[in-house]
Amino acid sequence: MLFLHAVEQGLIYGLMALGVYLSFRVLSFPDLSVDGTLPLGAAVAALLVLRGFSPYVALLGAFGAGLVAGAFTGALATRLRIPGLLAGVLTMIMLYSLNLRIMGRPNLSLLGRPSALLRLATTLAVPKGYEVLVTSGIFAGGALLLLLLFLFTELGGAMRAVGQNPDMVRTLGIAPENLVVLGLALANGLVALSGAFVAQYSGFADVGMGIGTIVAGLASVMIGELLLRPRGICTHLVAVMVGSVGYRLAISLALRYGATLGFTASDLRLLTALVVLGALAAPVIRAALRGEEA
Amino acid sequence: MLEVQEVTKTFALGAERVVALADVTLALGEGEVATVIGSNGAGKTTLLNVIAGVCRPDRGRVVLAGWDITRWPVHKRAHLIGRVFQDPLRGTAAGMTVLENLALASRKGRRGLWPLVHRHRRQSLYAAVAQLGMGLEKRLQEKVAHLSGGERQALTVLMATLTRPKLLLLDEHTAALDPANAEKVVRITEELVRENRITTIMVTHRMDQAIAVGERLVMMHKGRVVLDLGAGEKRRLQVEDLVALFRSLGVSDDALLLVRNGSGCKGDGDLGHLLASRQPTSTARP
Ligand SMILES: Nc1ncnc2c1ncn2[C@@H]1O[C@H](COP(=O)(O)OP(=O)(O)OP(=O)(O)O)[C@@H](O)[C@H]1O
Ligand SMILES: [Mg+2]
Repeated sequence: MLFLHAVEQGLIYGLMALGVYLSFRVLSFPDLSVDGTLPLGAAVAALLVLRGFSPYVALLGAFGAGLVAGAFTGALATRLRIPGLLAGVLTMIMLYSLNLRIMGRPNLSLLGRPSALLRLATTLAVPKGYEVLVTSGIFAGGALLLLLLFLFTELGGAMRAVGQNPDMVRTLGIAPENLVVLGLALANGLVALSGAFVAQYSGFADVGMGIGTIVAGLASVMIGELLLRPRGICTHLVAVMVGSVGYRLAISLALRYGATLGFTASDLRLLTALVVLGALAAPVIRAALRGEEA
Repeated sequence: MLEVQEVTKTFALGAERVVALADVTLALGEGEVATVIGSNGAGKTTLLNVIAGVCRPDRGRVVLAGWDITRWPVHKRAHLIGRVFQDPLRGTAAGMTVLENLALASRKGRRGLWPLVHRHRRQSLYAAVAQLGMGLEKRLQEKVAHLSGGERQALTVLMATLTRPKLLLLDEHTAALDPANAEKVVRITEELVRENRITTIMVTHRMDQAIAVGERLVMMHKGRVVLDLGAGEKRRLQVEDLVALFRSLGVSDDALLLVRNGSGCKGDGDLGHLLASRQPTSTARP
C-alpha cells in the first residue's frame, strides 16, 4: 500500500520533475516560479472542475495557465533583463496572490468530484486497486514521450543548445531569448499539469501546497541522476521519473518509520533540503577528499 | 559583396572615450578573402562585431549582398553571416553530439517540429564531415565535449560554412591551437571558403598566415585602416615588411612617419607610398 501510493505520487509529481529538469538542466535556468505554478495548476483545475467542466478540460486549463506563467518568468528574465533567480521568485510571489484570487479562498475541496485519473481508469476498465497507478503511469509516460520527441526536433535541439551555448544559437540565426521564454513556458506548463493531477488525486487544492516544490523537483532530478547515471536525453528523462518515484518512496518511508528515529512530518522539508544540499555538495566533497581544489 | 562605409564606433569607459573604429571604410568583392592584422586594441574585433551586429556603429553603414544590414539584429544577419571565434568552446554545444551540432548548423535559423537529425540529411552531413579529413565522420554520435580543440574548431568552421553564408568572419580562430592543428584548421578553412566562394574576413596575429591566406591584406591601427593591399601587392609582401611596418607604427602614431624616416623596411617605397597616399576611395574595391 505504502509502496503503491509512493509510486502513484512519484508518477504524478514526476511531471513536475520533468518541468524542473527542462528549466534547470536543459535551459540551465534556475527557475523558482514552480513553487507558484504547481498550486496554480491545482487552483485552475479545481475551479474548472467545480464549475462543471470535464476533468480533462481542467488538465488542459491548468497546462495553459502554467504556460502563461512560465512565459511571464521568461519575459522578465529576457526582455527586462531581470536575473533568472529573481524573475522566478517574483512570479512565484505574484502567483501566491493570484492563486488565492482564482480559488476565492485558501483551499478548495474536490471530494466527490470527477478526476481524470479515475475517469480514464473507468474508460480503460483497469483492474480494481490499480486504477491510479495505471492511469498516472499513462499520463506521466505520455508526457515523457512527448517531451522526448520534442527535444529531438529542430526546435527542441535549439533549446538544448541554448542552455549550453546561447552565443552559438544566436550565430545560428535564432534569438535565444525566445527559446528561453518558450522553454520556461513548457516547463511550467508541465509543473501546473502536475499540480492539477495532485489536486484531483488528493481531492483538494491548497494555496500552500507549492512550498518546497522546487526542492522536491531538484531532489528527484538528482536522485535519478545518482541512480541511473544517464548519458543521453532519453535515459535522463527516464531517470527523472525514476528519481521522482524514488523520492516519494523515501519520503513515505521517512514518514512511516521516521517517528521511531525521532522525526516528525514537520521535519520533512528540512530532510529534503538536506538531500539536495548533499547532492549539490557531493562533487566538492569528493574532490576535497581526493585533495584537489574543486 | 560587403561594404563597410565610414563606420565609427566609440566606447565610453567611465569618463574616458575609446575610439575603437574611426571612419573605417572597407569593401570586399564576392568570394574575396581578406586577412586583417593589427596590434592589440586596433579595433579588429570591434569591426567584426559591427559587421555581425553585436554592436551598432555610431556612424556609417554596413551593406551586405545589397542589403543595408546596419540595424539588423544579430540573429537576423546570421543567415548571411557565419562566424568563428578564437575560443573553440564558443562555436559548438558541448553536451550535444557532433551530428546534432552539424544538424543545428545545417538548419540555420529554422526551428520547426521536424526531427533535428533527419535520415536523408544524415548522408550529406556525413560527407561534409568526412571532407575535413579528421576522422570525425566516425564520431558523429560522440559529444562535442570529447573532441580536441583543433577538432572542435574545424567542426565550427564547417558549421559556419555549411549553409554557404555570404560572409564568413574569423576572429583569430586558430590562436588557441597548437601549430600543427592551426595549420590544419587554416587549410580546411581555405578549402571550404574557396569551394563555396564565401567572402571572408580573417583576423590573425600571425604575419605568415596573414600573407599566405587570401588575396587581400588589411592592416588596422588605433581604429583606422592603415594599409589595404590587393592581390598584386600582397604577393610580393614579406613577413619582414609587415614587422617593419608595425615597428614604425609603434614608434609613432603617425603612419606617415614611415615614409619620412624610411625605417629599414624592405619594399619600403611601395609600402610607404601605400600608407602615405591611402584614401578612403582607394581602398574601396568592387
Ligand atoms: N564592449 C566594449 N566596451 C568598451 N570598450 C571596448 C569594447 N570593445 C572594445 N573596446 C575597446 O575598443 C578598442 C578596440 O578593441 P578590439 O577588441 O576591437 O581590438 P582588437 O583589434 O580586436 O584587439 P586584439 O588583438 O587584442 O583582439 C580597445 O581599446 C578596447 O578596449
Ligand atoms: Mg580581438
